[in-house]
Amino acid sequence: MTGPRGDNPADLTGAYALNALSADEKADVEAYLDGSESARTEVHELSETAAALGLAAEPVQPSAALRSSIMAKLASTPQLAPVAVAPAAVPPLPSVPMIPAPAEEPADGPTATSDAEASPRVGTAATRAHKRWFQRPTQVLLAAAAAVVLFVGGTFAGQAFNDNQFVEQQAAGMVQITAASDTQRAATTTSDGHSATLVWSNSLGLSAVLVKDLPALGNDQDYQLWYINAAGAAPAGTFDSTGSGTAWRVLDGAMHAGDTVGITVEPRGGSEQPTTDPIVAFQSS
Amino acid sequence: MLGLMTTDLNLDDSSVDPLSKEELLARVALGDELAFGELYDQIAPRVLGLVKRLLIDHAQSEEVTQEIFLEIWQTATRYEATRGGASTWIMTMAHRRAVDRIRSSQAGRDRDSKIGIRDLAVAYDHVAETVEVRIEHERVEKAMSRLTQLQRQAVSLAYYGGYTHNEVAGMLEIPLGTVKTRLRDGLIRLRDELGVAS
Repeated sequence: MTGPRGDNPADLTGAYALNALSADEKADVEAYLDGSESARTEVHELSETAAALGLAAEPVQPSAALRSSIMAKLASTPQLAPVAVAPAAVPPLPSVPMIPAPAEEPADGPTATSDAEASPRVGTAATRAHKRWFQRPTQVLLAAAAAVVLFVGGTFAGQAFNDNQFVEQQAAGMVQITAASDTQRAATTTSDGHSATLVWSNSLGLSAVLVKDLPALGNDQDYQLWYINAAGAAPAGTFDSTGSGTAWRVLDGAMHAGDTVGITVEPRGGSEQPTTDPIVAFQSS
Repeated sequence: MLGLMTTDLNLDDSSVDPLSKEELLARVALGDELAFGELYDQIAPRVLGLVKRLLIDHAQSEEVTQEIFLEIWQTATRYEATRGGASTWIMTMAHRRAVDRIRSSQAGRDRDSKIGIRDLAVAYDHVAETVEVRIEHERVEKAMSRLTQLQRQAVSLAYYGGYTHNEVAGMLEIPLGTVKTRLRDGLIRLRDELGVAS
């Protein structure tokens, strides 16, 4: 088998385990690993071997300040939901309960899964929307947000982030923002009263939203994020919520200082421009 | 003040705390900050040791160590004890993050100017002589000694030096294909010597 760069990815398992590959080569190997269980086993074993080399490095005592700095950031660093593990392959560890419990229904939602096919109720109510809210000043925008009645999805939406690589990238982004020297925060509530926080770093041009107990949407809808400024509203990614715990998402694309960040409910997969009023909007300046 | 602390390493951490790192990680997955603090105390010197080995600069190494521990906090829910020990999981994450930092342009240039003309090929010997008291170091040292010198150089440059296989090929002035083979054969040999199996 030959990769796009003319390499045989099977030769690269050692370099892969040692993190000695470029991003492109790494992607080639990962594509190859997808199709080969024996290669996955080899990479796993070689990675464990590499970690043994890591444990052999001379320990260095960190400063006391590092410990307090990390501990102080825990409360604002959301933990990932566990990946659903195929029971036949790897039995879940009994001592690690699954959080947030994926089977939980939103408190006030109807239940049947078939409801997922129901028509998007928010879209219709909110699309007769008047002006384009995202072109108005933030004050107006916040008022509009408060007036929206949000349909609470009646079915469990599933874990929003199933793709492992995506999750890792999201986690890394969140850590970058939280650990940045210029992290800022703005807290508000959504139109139906859930506490919502925007964290951002102007130096990184990154931001993330966190919403507590954000209702799960049906299968035909997603929450969509927007960066809004004088140039208009730029789509910045979609997400869904399990209905309990904290839903969060690092926004796609670059944030510019002073941008407003909004969340709307859109048809599944998102829209090119907002089609509904926002459930929440943050001004970052 | 802070400088003094480096002489006061607790190298026998396992006997101090009744909970294993795996158990602590399971509690961290539930949002237990105390357990996280204990896990930090147990393994932070190892993490910083590896990161500093790669990055050289202490302040920058502490920054990256902070990122690593926040990632541990975030992703503890995804740790699978059936797939390997907690230390392995953490050191794998630490190495990846340190290497990411090296590859981010400015950090890599700063590091290169600090390393200067130091001969990285001997880096492994330095580790072996300073920490040989520890069992795992002895195990690794012994396993490393079973590699050919060329395998050992290539593996050390890649792992402890944080160089890509292309860079290793340039430093050792050998073809890339040869480096690939040495890295893989070297690690396989180490795996067998260390008895790593999944």
